[in-house]
Parts: sequence; C-alpha cells; structure tokens
Amino acid sequence: MVAAVFVAGCAHADKEVSIAPLVPAAGRVDPGLGPATRAFSSGPGYKGSPSWSPGGDRIAFTVDDYVVDRPTDSEDLRRSTTRDFIAEDTEWISEDTLMILGAASPSGTQETPSSLYRARADEDSLEPEKVEKEVSAIGPGRGGLIFAFGRGTLESGLALTRGSGDVRRLYSKSIKGRVASLSLSPDGDEAVLAVRPPGDLETSVLHVFDLRKGEGREITRLDGNQEILGTPQWMGKYLYFVAGEKNMRVDRDGSEPPYEIYRVPEEGGAPEPAPGVGEDFVAASIRVSPDGERLAVIGRLNPNSPTNLYVLDPLAKDLTAVTMNEDMEIKTGPDDLAWSPGGESVAVIARGTPSTEPEVRAAPADRLLRDFYNLYEIPVAGPEDAPR
Amino acid sequence: MRDIVFWLSGAALAFLVTAGAFLFLANLATAPSEKRLNPDQARGESGQAVDLILDRELLASLRSRRDQSLDLVVENEGTKQLSDVNVTLRVFSENTALSDSRYYRQTVEKIPASGAARVRFEFDLPAREDPVARPPTANPELSREILEIRATMPDGNSAVRTVILPL
Repeated sequence: MVAAVFVAGCAHADKEVSIAPLVPAAGRVDPGLGPATRAFSSGPGYKGSPSWSPGGDRIAFTVDDYVVDRPTDSEDLRRSTTRDFIAEDTEWISEDTLMILGAASPSGTQETPSSLYRARADEDSLEPEKVEKEVSAIGPGRGGLIFAFGRGTLESGLALTRGSGDVRRLYSKSIKGRVASLSLSPDGDEAVLAVRPPGDLETSVLHVFDLRKGEGREITRLDGNQEILGTPQWMGKYLYFVAGEKNMRVDRDGSEPPYEIYRVPEEGGAPEPAPGVGEDFVAASIRVSPDGERLAVIGRLNPNSPTNLYVLDPLAKDLTAVTMNEDMEIKTGPDDLAWSPGGESVAVIARGTPSTEPEVRAAPADRLLRDFYNLYEIPVAGPEDAPR
Repeated sequence: MRDIVFWLSGAALAFLVTAGAFLFLANLATAPSEKRLNPDQARGESGQAVDLILDRELLASLRSRRDQSLDLVVENEGTKQLSDVNVTLRVFSENTALSDSRYYRQTVEKIPASGAARVRFEFDLPAREDPVARPPTANPELSREILEIRATMPDGNSAVRTVILPL
C-alpha cells in the first residue's frame, strides 16, 4: 500500500506551532477538573461504571464494555473479560473478587439477557464464571452482593451473595415488575429498588425490601411519563432519586428542568425536591457517601451551564461545587461516578469537547487524556472541611 | 545631479522599508498549513533530532473510504545526515474493543543535515459499524478513527504524532 518515498532536500515548514506535552497519566493532572485531579486511565476507549475495591487499593471500570481494573497507585491495567464482553456494571465484593453484570460473547443482533459473573483477581482467565442468569441489577451488600433477577416476564426476585460470590440467600417473595437498579440502606438491612411495573415502559416505582423479613413494599409511584433515572440512594430517613419526564429535550422552552433530585421518607409518601438544590438544577446521577451524610451529584446548575460534580449536604441544605469545569464533558451515565471507600474522593469520567477538525497531538494515543473519555479521581473535602 | 541621486536613493529606501513592513505583517497574519509540532522531537545522544510535520488541510480532507493518502515531512533537525529512519503509520479505531489496527511502514534511506524527507502513505480508512447490538448503557456515539505516526531513528529515538479524525 505504500506508494512512494522521496527526499525533498531542504523543504522547511513555515512557522513553528507547539503543543504542550502531556503530563503522564499516573501523576496529578489538571484536565479542567481541578489541580488535585488524578487520572486513572488514558488513551482511547469509552470508560464507564467505576467501582473501588473495599480497601480502595484497586479500581475497576468498563472500557468499550469490557472490564478492566488497576491499582490506584500504578498503571498496571488488568483485563477481566474478553473484549467482546458487554458489561453494564461492576461491583467488588472483596479485595480479590469482582462481580460483573453483563453478557459474554453476544452473537447476532439479538440483545443477550445480562447475567451475573464473578472474576477473581488471582486468576488470569478472561472468562469470568457465571453465577446467575437473567440478572437485571446489582449493588454492594453487607459482606457480599445483592442482586435482582427475572422471575418470568412480570416479576423479579432478590438474592444475596457471600464475599466469595456464592449465593447465600434467595428470597422467595417476588417483586412485581423488573428491578432496574438497587442499593442498600445505611444499616444494610433493607434495599431500595427502582422498579419498572409490568406493562410499563418507564421505571416509575420505588420499592423498599426488608432483607431480614424477606418482604417488600411500594414507597412511591411516579405519575404520567415520569421515570426514575439511575440508582436510588438511601440517606438517613430518606430515599433520594433522580427523576423527570422521559424523552424531554434538555434545551426545550420552559422553566422546569428535565431531571431533578427528589426525596421521599422511608415510610413512604409523596416525593419532594431535595433540599439545598436550586430550582434550575439539572441532575444526572447521584451517589451517597460512605459515611451516609453526603450525596455526590453530577449535574448542571441550570440547563445552559456546564456539567460539574457537586456534593449535597441535605441537613445543611448546602450544594457545594467540587469542580468548576467549563470545557470538559463529564459523563452523565447513572453508574459513572463512585465514592472512594474512605469518602475522600469521587471517581468520574470526563473528556474535552471533541473538535470538528482533525486534532494533532505530540504523544502516543494511549497517553492522551482530554481527547477521550477517561477516569479521574477528584478529591472531595469532608463535611468538616466544607465552607459554611 | 546630487539632488536627483539623493531623492532616488531616498525613494528606494522608503520603498524597501515599506515593502519589508508589509511582508512582516503578512507573515504574522498568515497561518501556515503545515505545522511543526515539536515538543517531543526525538533527540539522540549525538544531538541528532527528527521531527514530523503534518499538513492540517490534508488531514481534514481524509474520508472514511478506501484509497486515502497522507503526505508528511520527516525533518532532520541535527547537523549530521540521518540514515534508515523508519516511519510507521498505525490506523485504528477509538473503540478499543475492535482489534483490527492496520500498520504501514516506510524507511527513509537518507535525510541530509537540516533537510527533510517527504513521505506518502496510502491506506484504507473504512467506515466502521458496531459489531454487536448494544444495550442502552453502551457507547451511543460512533467511534472516531485515529492515525498514529512515528518516525524512529536507528538509535531508537522517535518522534510521534497522533491524529484524531472527527466523525
């Protein structure tokens, strides 16, 4: 394919234009997210679903739907699945066991139902072991994992695993509909579930399931075309969730923002806007902090402002901006943020705004940061450090 | 006679100064098409350096189809002639799940001191399709194509450029 090579002698180019060299990905970088930001990945690939190991020594995430993990203090990336694996979510259940929700080796064009897989750190296999089929949602549980699976076409069941990934308890009582996402209460005795009722197109019901009694109850049901986005979070006596009208255009005319953060008391009732969040705030995803006192929020102050990371303290009714980014696109997927186990930082995924012109960089592709979605650790001040 | 010579000399000097000023201003205002991107140019122990120069207009003309060509300049910024400089082009997708990188290589036999060699690669830049049906959580965007160009001197030092082509 090579056509020709010819020496042109003293053909000099015109004026020099320099591009600043990139900082190695392992070090502290400032890609527009703050000077203390640290990159956990670099180069091409659509990253997603970060998950810290319980001790905070490793972080797993998806790249173009396959699963990788790496130590937080080195760049020794390890792949846990084949590249054709389609992972939706990952959760560590111990320092050496990673649970993966996804589908292995899809074939044809039919969507393959997701299953629950287990990958062990001490094994080099790229074929994780299947634990359960037709699983719709996973979440970290006390000493293991909690997951929801399909029971027929209209109902879901719940199960708990041990730290090894083996199923420890299977709950006999079913939940009507499909569980889209779930998370645990602060004491780990209950789970809050976002459920799509049978026959509905939207995830519109919030359930609470008592893991001791094995019974569930409906907490609230959204009206009309409203849907719950992402994973509801349990903080104190309230359940927090992001909801809005499905398929509403972000830039539509009107004063009501498309997605808001709501909360509802754990005993049930009508949802109310979360305190401390401005009326114009557009929410994308939320995660409760490990101490259960703060909510990490990815969203925008208003429909026309850039996406940033915020921390909400509902008791103080205070929303603090962690990043004040103007030119990075922070990924807004429901699973695209994760607190570190100690609550000192949050992992997010971001990239610079893509250009419509060819971009030339003076570095190998696998060292580039801003040009592709990459994973960053952003330090977050503790409640005692936050300005009042 | 002295007055005529004096006025002619003055007029010539004024013309040269004005022309020089216009040339200077024109040079400031014109953005060069070929740009030298030199922060990481390779410099061996002998002080030899190589640089890669790409033409942005040519890059903008690349399309996702067969038979594309890329002209680039490998420049010897050292004081000695360079021999056997390997120039490689790697074409691959932003989607790392696709493992079909294509490699092209050429060797420039000689580049004189402070001189340059022009290299042309001809390659295919196919439109890609997602290999599988994707669930809602997967990348909703089409993947961009990436060109990674590297010029490597015999001592192992190299200069590299990565080009990210827009959709």
